[in-house]
Amino acid sequence: MLKVMFQKIWHKRWMVFSLLLGSILLSATVVSFPMYKKAAFDRMLQDEFYNYLTEKGEWPGLLKFTMVSKKDAEGKSIQRMKDLMNSIYKDMGVTERETLAYYSLATAEVKSEMQRDDVGDINIRLSSMTNLPEHAEMLAGEMFSEDGLSDDGCIEVVISQSCMVNTKVLVGESLTFTALKHADGKPIRIKVVGIYDKKESTDFYWQVSPEQMNNVFLMKDNLFEEYFHGANAKKYTITCNYFPMFEYEDCTAKASEKLYAYTTDLVENSVYRSTVDLPGYLEVLENFNKKQDRIEATLFILQIPVLILLCAFLFMIASQMYDMERNEISVLKSRGGSGSQILRLYFYQSVFTTLIGTVLGLQLGKLFCSILGSARNFLEFNLSTELNVEFTEETLQYALVAAMVSILVMTLPALKHSRLTIVKLKQQKAARSKALWEKLFLDVICLGVALYGYYSFSKNQELLAVDVLKGEALDPLLYLSSSLFIVGLGLLFLRLQPYVIRLIYGIGKSFWGPASYASFIENIKNNSKQHFIMLFMILTVALGMYHATVARTILQNAKDNVAYLEGADLIVKEIWTENSALASQAGAGEFQYFEPDYNKYAKLDFVESYTRVIFDEGAYLKGSKNTRQDITLMGIHTKEFGGITHVDSELLEKEYYEYLNELAVEANGVLVSRNFATKLDYKVGDSITFYGSLGKPVHAKIIDFVDYWPGYEPVTTTLNADGSVSSKDNFYLIAHYQVLRKEWGVTPYEVWMSLKDGASADQIAPWLEENDVHLAKYMDKDAEIEKVVQDPLLQGTNGVLTMSFMVTLVLCAAGYLIYWIMSIRSREMIFGVLRASGMHKGEVFHMLINEQIFSGLTSILAGVGIGKLTSKMFVPMIQSAYAAADQVLPMKLITNPMDMVRLYGVVAAVMVVCLAVLILLVFKMNIAKALKLGEE
Amino acid sequence: MAENNIIVLEDIRRSFPTAAGEFRALKGINAKIPEGSLVILKGRSGSGKTTLLNIIGALDNPTSGKVYLEDRDMGKFSDRRKENFRRTKLGYVFQSVSLIPTMNALQNVEFSLRLAGIRRDREKRAIECLKMVGLGGRIKHMPAEMSGGEQQRVAIARAIAHRPSILLADEPTAELDSAMAAEVTKLFQEMTKKEGVTIIMTTHDVGLMDAGDMVIELEGGEQVNVPKEAAEEE
Repeated sequence: MLKVMFQKIWHKRWMVFSLLLGSILLSATVVSFPMYKKAAFDRMLQDEFYNYLTEKGEWPGLLKFTMVSKKDAEGKSIQRMKDLMNSIYKDMGVTERETLAYYSLATAEVKSEMQRDDVGDINIRLSSMTNLPEHAEMLAGEMFSEDGLSDDGCIEVVISQSCMVNTKVLVGESLTFTALKHADGKPIRIKVVGIYDKKESTDFYWQVSPEQMNNVFLMKDNLFEEYFHGANAKKYTITCNYFPMFEYEDCTAKASEKLYAYTTDLVENSVYRSTVDLPGYLEVLENFNKKQDRIEATLFILQIPVLILLCAFLFMIASQMYDMERNEISVLKSRGGSGSQILRLYFYQSVFTTLIGTVLGLQLGKLFCSILGSARNFLEFNLSTELNVEFTEETLQYALVAAMVSILVMTLPALKHSRLTIVKLKQQKAARSKALWEKLFLDVICLGVALYGYYSFSKNQELLAVDVLKGEALDPLLYLSSSLFIVGLGLLFLRLQPYVIRLIYGIGKSFWGPASYASFIENIKNNSKQHFIMLFMILTVALGMYHATVARTILQNAKDNVAYLEGADLIVKEIWTENSALASQAGAGEFQYFEPDYNKYAKLDFVESYTRVIFDEGAYLKGSKNTRQDITLMGIHTKEFGGITHVDSELLEKEYYEYLNELAVEANGVLVSRNFATKLDYKVGDSITFYGSLGKPVHAKIIDFVDYWPGYEPVTTTLNADGSVSSKDNFYLIAHYQVLRKEWGVTPYEVWMSLKDGASADQIAPWLEENDVHLAKYMDKDAEIEKVVQDPLLQGTNGVLTMSFMVTLVLCAAGYLIYWIMSIRSREMIFGVLRASGMHKGEVFHMLINEQIFSGLTSILAGVGIGKLTSKMFVPMIQSAYAAADQVLPMKLITNPMDMVRLYGVVAAVMVVCLAVLILLVFKMNIAKALKLGEE
Repeated sequence: MAENNIIVLEDIRRSFPTAAGEFRALKGINAKIPEGSLVILKGRSGSGKTTLLNIIGALDNPTSGKVYLEDRDMGKFSDRRKENFRRTKLGYVFQSVSLIPTMNALQNVEFSLRLAGIRRDREKRAIECLKMVGLGGRIKHMPAEMSGGEQQRVAIARAIAHRPSILLADEPTAELDSAMAAEVTKLFQEMTKKEGVTIIMTTHDVGLMDAGDMVIELEGGEQVNVPKEAAEEE
């Protein structure tokens, strides 16, 4: 049996090769999904943790436990906490970074052993912190010794600077507790040996800072345990704080599941729930899970079409192969070969092909995965981006599913055919009827469903925005609608195309030369045979165009939106000092800001130009009934501002600079956002009085309304806790910087900068250092845009669509070639007859070109048309399903001519290769031999 | 006399290279065939009949020797000219049914008229030819809907539609029962008379030998009899 199989495979090696290709691609596509998911989610989780770290300034992998052990017999409650600390990392599935245990005895009075008049009662807490010497540096004196005891038997302690100030004790001073005794009843004596401070200011060990510990005397940690834990604990009240910290950088997306589950249980159900604070990372993980679900679902939906195409490809090639072998199969059947034997033969062949396909597919999947992870745009990669690609159990599970599907699809045609005997086969060949999809009106059904989806989505487009806020995935029905639309139109084209061909044939019936005539007849009679490959071509081109538009539109709009909201290349605001502390003390002094040196900005050599912008989000208007209306105020230098910022003229009624010019000539004038007119009933020329956040009024005149302005978001939409969505109108008022400065005096401003070509905002770092500048605000446009590009949802989408596109192209090329070669092979006898009747090789060739035009070219053209129409109809909706909640700019449909050039280029290359193969076949064709074939 | 001989064969030799050395399929054939005669080419399979027929039909070139068709030396013709000659002056009927399966009877016949470059009254001529072969009532039938004999008759109608001067038929009756074979042969006889066409058919059916005006018998690539002059018989 195996021998027969291998002979068969060798005989049909090209077809088997195509099957193998399909199987490899199927397996690679399927396995790249979990691989990418894992790598991308790991990175995303790290990003989320890191954001938390930078925004909150707190270690993300931190838990806080607080518990008071009150004269607890045997110290059981402390022991329980210690046990927890020992097992918690393992149970959470993370690696330990450091566990800080901070124990404190209740505040107790001490008396100095020195006779001091300057000090009254001192109340202190005797405490300990794990591994203190590693994290502290001594400002004076020394750290407590290894055994924690002084020569005279005192407990050595160290104190912070604030503690020294507060308690006024001195280094070297010994103290005795008045009431607090050792377990054996002896008085507790301590000796201050040093003043400590943090060794590093950013060390997360210092959950309680030295400044806060202004009555805490720290002793050696294990000595504390020896004296006060265990059996001794029953005599003391001990406040126990535990700060287990884990390495968040080692936490993978997969591990986070366990971490999340354990932590929620710990906080909600465990016996420790009353002792633990809600850890900050729980929210990080919740956010992450939500995002992860959204990305996973979205990317999966986007992959469906290419997976279906892959299966269809396998089915098509397998069917072709069985078609060619039909005679053999039927003969085998008629001679008594059992159906199951034949089926088994094909089954083994499928298994064999799939096995090799899966092994190679796993390797190719890695490449696919790195392509996914390095996608910067549609058909654009940065392969230097490292993505940590690895095989996991999940990958193998996916590979297994892909393999099973592959085997099933490849064996399916055999299942159908093995039941036929030669007699039935001949009968079937004779009976020609309409295809099933035509009889079922599948095209009409697909279109109907798609259009229904289209209309219901376009009617409820606001709902899509709400879904985005809620973090929901791309609605599968929306994407399905667009895919069905393409399939439906493709099928409709197949239904109508023969009539057009018939019409053309009919019109020129008497002029057609023999080649055209033969090809018309061939096409009219055998049209349905080509449906599959034609649909394939249509889908390739249409999906390619559609996906290119989807990917480019989503990304470009997101980037444009970020660029718009950022306003300028780089915006910084220094921390301003003012005299409020002084002013309140002195009582009389006027409140005043101190302006930092503005001239130093001239030293930024990578900056092209810069300008001062007063940006006051606390400004307000007083309405006619004295109602307060919050506004955002911008004070600009019109000329400088115009050189640094930009707004697309299509967003505004006039050119952007015209507004700036209007403002420039009217010292008193202000530009206001459109909603001043629509919501607050202002008109051009109206007088308006606005107040800065300090409450000083400015009188001005409205000179124009703007719809868009750098950084201006007309409406902020937010999701409430109860799931409802609320929106808030934002009012913008743009005035002259100089006017505000004159009215208000020195007012804090931001510096907006435009960078020179190729410069990066990072270059500001040495300047900050040199000039000792501390920033309150820092906005780097390129970095924000880069975040968009790297966003796993957008990047994954780009990657998946690009990959689908490439896979579809390969399939289309292979499928088209195979189809044509097989089609010609099967008609060799007819070509022989034609040649014998005196047809030139050129004419045979002409005939084949005609056939290619009828099937290939018309399919491509139909694909282009369908792709364009689908993009126009569905991309806006898909885009809004992706848009960020702060999407401000109207959607722009982005197509890149280069994508189309690439698409057409590949399709043209396929057709050229196909033609070359045809030429070769036709010229090799031997009439006498071809006729002999017919005699068999 | 010479101008009446539409086909003249002079010492036709044809050999094929094979693994076992050179295989000589034809070893010097000579014949003069007058216009309007029905020539029977006979011999066992492998005797070289089809090779000779292919050479006469300009489908194949002799290794040596000369073929004159209508006094023109085929050896001097380019492939293109040969093809043109083939599509206008020659008609073929093959052993197996060689109709184009996607075309109906009428289209098959009309197609050969297109090939021959005939622009006028194609359909009329095609119907006329189909009537001549007795298929006037089945012109719209597809090949698959006809019997073997009917298909062969369509093939004959197609071969003669463009009024070729020479009709070549390779075992046209091989797949037909004897009644049908006789019918086809009778049709050929009629056509030589009515249309003045010269027909060369190969056969191994001994019963048909007498029907011919001239018989060329081949054995192992050699002529075993001297062809009788058709003119003498008349």
